[in-house]
Amino acid sequence: MKQNNMLAMILAGGRGSRLHDLTNKVAKPAVSYGGKYRIVDFPLSNCANSGIDVVGVLTQYESVLLNSYVAAGGRWGLDAKDSGVFVLPPREKADADLDVYRGTADAISQNIDFIDTYNPEYVLILSGDHIYKMDYDKMLDAHKANSADATIAVLQVPMKEASRFGIMNTNDTGRIIEFEEKPPVPKSNLASMGIYIFTWKLLREMLLADMVKEDSNHDFGKDIIPTMLNDGRNLYAYKFEGYWKDVGTIDSLWEANMDLLDADCELDLNDSSWKIYTEDVTTLPHYVSADAVVKNAYITQGCTIKGEVTGSVLFTNAKVGKDAKVIDSVLMPGVVVEDGAVVTRALVADGVKIGKGAVVGSADSENILLVANDVEGVE
Amino acid sequence: MAKAFGIINTTGNHIWVEGMQDYRPIGAFSFLGRYRVIDFAMSNFSNSDIDRIHVLAGSKPRSLTEHLGSGRQYNINSKRGNVQILFADNHSRNSIYNTDIATFDENMDDSIGKMKEPYVVIAPSNMVFKQSFKKLVDTHAASGADITLLYHSVENANEAYLNCDYVTLNRQKGVLEIQKNRGNEAQRDIFMGTYVMKTELFIELIGKAKTLSSMYTLAQIVNLSCDELDVRGYAHEGYFAAITDLKSYYDANMALLDIEKAEDLINDDWPIYTRTNDSCPTQYFADAEVKHSVISNGCLIEGTIENSIIGRGCIIKKGVVIKDSVILPDTVIEEGIRVECQVVDKHSKLLHCKELVAAADAPGYVRRGDTL
Repeated sequence: MKQNNMLAMILAGGRGSRLHDLTNKVAKPAVSYGGKYRIVDFPLSNCANSGIDVVGVLTQYESVLLNSYVAAGGRWGLDAKDSGVFVLPPREKADADLDVYRGTADAISQNIDFIDTYNPEYVLILSGDHIYKMDYDKMLDAHKANSADATIAVLQVPMKEASRFGIMNTNDTGRIIEFEEKPPVPKSNLASMGIYIFTWKLLREMLLADMVKEDSNHDFGKDIIPTMLNDGRNLYAYKFEGYWKDVGTIDSLWEANMDLLDADCELDLNDSSWKIYTEDVTTLPHYVSADAVVKNAYITQGCTIKGEVTGSVLFTNAKVGKDAKVIDSVLMPGVVVEDGAVVTRALVADGVKIGKGAVVGSADSENILLVANDVEGVE
Repeated sequence: MAKAFGIINTTGNHIWVEGMQDYRPIGAFSFLGRYRVIDFAMSNFSNSDIDRIHVLAGSKPRSLTEHLGSGRQYNINSKRGNVQILFADNHSRNSIYNTDIATFDENMDDSIGKMKEPYVVIAPSNMVFKQSFKKLVDTHAASGADITLLYHSVENANEAYLNCDYVTLNRQKGVLEIQKNRGNEAQRDIFMGTYVMKTELFIELIGKAKTLSSMYTLAQIVNLSCDELDVRGYAHEGYFAAITDLKSYYDANMALLDIEKAEDLINDDWPIYTRTNDSCPTQYFADAEVKHSVISNGCLIEGTIENSIIGRGCIIKKGVVIKDSVILPDTVIEEGIRVECQVVDKHSKLLHCKELVAAADAPGYVRRGDTL
């Protein structure tokens, strides 16, 4: 709490059901991305790099792995004396039954006691399943400069896609005058990124009022923000520029990985001034054999490549056998592609084995093939 | 409480790695792309449940102490265990006084003398191998010997392991003598700088060495004690490298291009811990041609790499050809440069030269941070 008096709460309860088998056992924020990361590493590293010391992570769906993963705050340097990452699943309280989080706002409401122990001046609300780099401290500067009650990060999306998003209509000064959820005829292209800074004292009051409202969805977008606008509060949009991805589907997760193959990719994970931190694994560096071919690829430690890898992203400990081919694909941690197998335009889930000589995926498929179960070899 | 505490020793004055050691002790040398040499001794201790470890700083300790940090990366309990650096006054005007015994003696009252563990394991900082020290201590305790020394039988002591010590054993594995390997014979039992003994005996030997000569090292006093004490050898098997000069450093790295050997040395059952640098994965571009090489994270590769080891965060531009080389972290090699049989030290930039070619039996060296 010493650095900027802002506490962050990461909403990480979502299942991400359009990621199908990838999220059967883990919540979406824990899904692997970019060779060595999990999606939640991005908001957590952004917090650490923005000088935020205390982060609450609100978990709900299949949270065992996510809970143990984020609890090790040292990975992101969030383990100093006044610092920490706190896992906050729904809990039973003396005056209420054990309940799930009923909505994004309710998840915060149910943890008012947690936030109060730190008594922050500002609270930052984040989503745990977006891939981007952002300096929240600069957003806080804007929040303060505007004397805002709430500041909402927005992304400029193509006008023709704006009807898929929650759109903020602002005046010349950036003050939000209207919020429209998925408007059929959008008036602006400023899409909400689900990143909010609130002045805590006010948000606390609003959450307490919202908790007892019968017709509320207890959601920031549907309830809290519209109420604030109705009340004539100072809400400002904060324009974000740069790489931002919400990887909701297998295709978009694959695409986000492929983006890393582009030398000019704005995400630039190689930037030493804004590192993305993650779990430290103890494997060897990767090894490329005498017969291997590796081109246009993103490869991390623990991989062994004896075959051909092109246009692909290989995660920790992925193994590619002799004469095997991995083309335009994503191999998640521990995937084994045995000798002679061919994988094309596929996303192969954690630990899956593609047997000898097996062929999966095809170059002209419309969608990316998700391979979530072992594939038997062909003799 | 663990049965033993650990000490990681410095190398003696007879060992000097030309070039690289100007900047840091051998323990802090980058190894196999992402490790430091000392990670192997530290991990051997940690994997053997020995979590109180003293590390002799030696000269120029910045890089070593920075790497070790609090020691938490070695999976050592942060409350019960600890990593302690043993500093010593450096007699720079007369290096013969810079012995391991002198450092032990200086740290006797505050550190070594206070240890409650009944045994001590002393491991070297310039050697790479895996060994369960737990097994070594148990074998030692069961044998009733006073001191147990770890050794490795080699068939090429006439051309390698020069300046290492070797042990002469009787048939019962009793150590008769510890001597310098001068390369006179091919078959030798090379002493791996690793000792197990009772803590009391260790303290006694330090005192004895001090009274006999200010120049004595631990190896010398143990050698002198071979007659009166029961000193035994314990054979090590598997990969073993002793880094005593640039050639042995180069060879030690290159030998692990045999990936099966590397996987035997470093695996989930015997992890080798190191300090993470949080580098992103390595990016290969369309023109990359990489064969039979070990590549660390954070590199950008557009050129050709064969039979080489590339450290973290290296930039290898188009048309570059790297062969049979060890490239240390954060090196930049500009377009079209040819590098063969070189050890290129950290943070160097090869910008203007056309080629750097040496032979594998006498690898070349590019200094840390140099621009060529």
